[in-house]
Amino acid sequence: MSDPNFSKEIPIVTMSSTQLNEVSREMNLGLSTDEMSRIKSYFEKEGRNPTDVEMQAIAQAWSEHCSYKSSKIHLKKYIFGIGKEKVVAEGDAGLVALDDETAISFKIESHNHPSAIEPYGGAATGVGGILRDILSMGAQPIAVTDVLYFGTKRIEGFPSPRFIETGVISGIRDYGNRVGIPTVSGGIVYSDFFSPNVLVNVGCVGVVRKDRIRSSAISEPGIQLILAGGKTGRDGIHGVNMASAEMKKGKEDITTVQLGSPIIKEPLIHAVLEANERGLIYALKDLGGGGLSSVVGEMLESGGMGGIIHLDSVPLKESSMKPWEIWISESQERMLLAVRRENVDKVLGIMDDWDITAALIGESQNGKRLQIFFRGKKVLDLGTEFMTSPILYERPYSKLDKKVVQFLPKQPSDFSKLLLSMLSDKNIRTREYAVRQYDHTVRGSTVIGPFSGIVGREGPTDASVIRPDWSKKTGVAITHGSNPFYSHADPYRGGMAAVDETVRNLISVGAEPLGFSDCLNAGNPEKPEIMGEFISMLQGLHDSAFSLNIPFVSGNVSFYNETGRKRIPTFPTILGVGKVKDIEKSITPDFKKVGSSIYMVGVPTTDLGGSLYFRHLKRDGGRVPYSDPRVLKRRGWNLLEAIGERAVSALHDVSDGGIAISVSEMTVGSSIGASIDLSPLGLRADFALFSEPQSSWIVEVRKESEEKFLEILGEDAVLIGYTQENSFTVKAGEGRVMDVGIDKILSRWKKGYQ
Amino acid sequence: MEEGIPMNRQIKVAVLTMEGTNNEVEAYLSFKHSGTSPEIVHLKKLENKSKRLEDYDILFFPGGFSGGDYVRAGAIMAARLRSTLLKDLEKLVEIGKPVMGSCNGFQVLVELGLIPNVGGEYGIEAALAPNISNRFEARTVYLKINKGNCLFLRDFSDGEVVKLPIAHSEGRFVTRDSDILKGIISNGMNVISYSDEMGRLQGYPWNPNGSEQNIAGLCNKEGNVLGIMPHPERVFYYVTESDWTRTEKREGMGSRFFSSAVSFVREKF
Repeated sequence: MSDPNFSKEIPIVTMSSTQLNEVSREMNLGLSTDEMSRIKSYFEKEGRNPTDVEMQAIAQAWSEHCSYKSSKIHLKKYIFGIGKEKVVAEGDAGLVALDDETAISFKIESHNHPSAIEPYGGAATGVGGILRDILSMGAQPIAVTDVLYFGTKRIEGFPSPRFIETGVISGIRDYGNRVGIPTVSGGIVYSDFFSPNVLVNVGCVGVVRKDRIRSSAISEPGIQLILAGGKTGRDGIHGVNMASAEMKKGKEDITTVQLGSPIIKEPLIHAVLEANERGLIYALKDLGGGGLSSVVGEMLESGGMGGIIHLDSVPLKESSMKPWEIWISESQERMLLAVRRENVDKVLGIMDDWDITAALIGESQNGKRLQIFFRGKKVLDLGTEFMTSPILYERPYSKLDKKVVQFLPKQPSDFSKLLLSMLSDKNIRTREYAVRQYDHTVRGSTVIGPFSGIVGREGPTDASVIRPDWSKKTGVAITHGSNPFYSHADPYRGGMAAVDETVRNLISVGAEPLGFSDCLNAGNPEKPEIMGEFISMLQGLHDSAFSLNIPFVSGNVSFYNETGRKRIPTFPTILGVGKVKDIEKSITPDFKKVGSSIYMVGVPTTDLGGSLYFRHLKRDGGRVPYSDPRVLKRRGWNLLEAIGERAVSALHDVSDGGIAISVSEMTVGSSIGASIDLSPLGLRADFALFSEPQSSWIVEVRKESEEKFLEILGEDAVLIGYTQENSFTVKAGEGRVMDVGIDKILSRWKKGYQ
Repeated sequence: MEEGIPMNRQIKVAVLTMEGTNNEVEAYLSFKHSGTSPEIVHLKKLENKSKRLEDYDILFFPGGFSGGDYVRAGAIMAARLRSTLLKDLEKLVEIGKPVMGSCNGFQVLVELGLIPNVGGEYGIEAALAPNISNRFEARTVYLKINKGNCLFLRDFSDGEVVKLPIAHSEGRFVTRDSDILKGIISNGMNVISYSDEMGRLQGYPWNPNGSEQNIAGLCNKEGNVLGIMPHPERVFYYVTESDWTRTEKREGMGSRFFSSAVSFVREKF
């Protein structure tokens, strides 16, 4: 065939398995011998050879990234189905109910591999992709979040950690700020674990009226398919295959990373929501990994339909694209809208009003076959079921048998010095250098943002609260939980701790936890020890969430975060949402008044594995603190009741660095100090002060509310001190073990900013 | 119309947008919750004459990154307005209707020459340059009000210190030459200034971008066109102020800009 744009036949029917592997490699398909053989026998039955478009389409659909072929069996077993009655809908994102009228749509997913290759574009399109997932449910995005994991050492052959960090933060800033959705929550973790495998986990939360929730399934013939948004180009080809393999030194192909354009996205959001509000959308889905190929296949298959697509109608960035390139391109800012015939002109009109490119590219048909035409010739003709049902793997896994070596540290000689050094630790001190570059007040609905307290000296908050409707008092609380240090030592307890932290943070602002989304990060699943860790982590997530009866409504799995001998710990980043009944009752961690009582809800522990304290002592080992979900539930929900009674003035969870860091952070935003006495807590002073017990909080209670507070919390609350002026002092029995001025705390915590 | 607009007549507000503007929702809601009848109007609708500027009582230019701001903040939107709607805009300003722009909207007003307009000929007399910190800054700032004849500040008291959020990377107000700056000061057009919590004009971080004379908000001589870098529309209710959990319940700092404009229109038009 002389026209290079035309589709080629790939003669696999007569090939040996060696030849099949050769084809998979040459065409960049990333398919295994088993998978290639399965395709071969399909086409033997069809009595012909496949086209290149068909081979590429199948490879997209069967990639780890799109198909979850290594994790699906385990996800089903451990975390699907928990708290089912609380899930309003599931799809590209999951939904839980905020109230009778409104649902919250939310999801977190990874954009790890693209960000490791091209940090700026990778992170930016991560934000773009997650926004589209929320939009795909018909929801208005109200917040963007991001949890970033950066390496600390330069690894030869890979970009420096500094370059990666600057690129990722700028990418999130430039995309998030331009698209006009506030970036309100997240985290940055620094560890050698992530050199060179940087992780970018991006989340988004939206709201939708329940009667406007849309799905992606098309279950009728004659439904018209409109491709709206950005034009299709050669960017992001084979992105999903790249994300489904280990990274190699200097081998990465930059064309696999998509390019984003927030100023197309911003009006696209408006236009799609307007069409949905007017009831003109039958179903919709965003174009992400795998491009049109994945989206068209999944929309038709999930509703039991087939369909026809005319590739000539797809608006292109460059006219010389081959049909297979058009079909699998991952160009950004595109949505596929399924619309009834009579609404096509109205929808195209709305798109035009917002200056959005849109084109009718095909329709659904009876029969479960998809046919694609290009320049009058059929280039793909496949059963939708075959295309979207890859081989699921139950990969071999090894049981974990890490021996826990307990270790008793010597009491530190100078507590004040240790506290100050912890405060300026990169994993503790303020992330304002990054977070203040993100617009967190756009949309004018941010009730609690990433920082709170006196203007100019704000401290950190535990969760953000957004008021989605200015006419209502209801708020949506948003936060994250993850601890790669715990997970490295113990994937099971690490998983539980991530749930615990998420719940703690939501409770801390006065929100009832409603649902989780999980982004699971791991190395190569073909290695039994990694599958072993993965399963352990899932068991941890299951045991916590099942006991709390809180569903995982969405998420993703990112495998192959591995390079040579270096790999990341197997751990989850959880995005949690909660409901604040009355935003005027939401709470921030900054102390409010001198002379209030300070309570600890919780009990310090001797399990110091993975703690900031051990990291500062440069100690590995030790048992990771255990989270008991029943205790978490009792303490957490009792705190919510106390907040409802206005018996709590300030609230902060106990997390990295224990009580010492929690109380310090409560002084930062308030300019109010604290006097703490450790004796009621019983343990050695360093354990009491620096251990990281799960399900624990520090609470400021005004004198006049104390009776009410204790009536609700009972024995879970232990009086440990009171707020005072100027300094943070700690007594253990008779002796004073620490005395640090709050201005010194502030300047250490703000190190690197101002 | 000496007696002003009757209470039963809705005040019409146009919140102007094009691709890249992104504060239209909070601006729209702020006007709506001030009792007016706002509308988000895409520039395209004015260009193709399906909407007319003269039908509105108040005009608002929201923030964002109009046209992506890939040239200079506000330049693309201003150029689009200049080519088709400049005369209509000038007319609206000259009859004294309230026109306000925040953040990118301020940048657009300056690029259009509507403020400061010391020379009275709508020339471009100033610009909003990149922040001296050379980065995007999202935080709350203190501002001192010097209300003069600015209609948007009617509900404030002179010398009052207020708190508003900022979120920008190009907010450093610089004038073309020192005469313009002198004109601004002598006419009292610098109605809102970055300050410390006591109202004293100080350098960075109080002045978050390095603006000349700490200028955060600028009004024309006539008092009906206001450009402001901070975002009143984001703190219409006090629960979205960054330190609200430390204060008593009250009206939001931003709401008074809107109530001022509404009472002005009711009286004068």
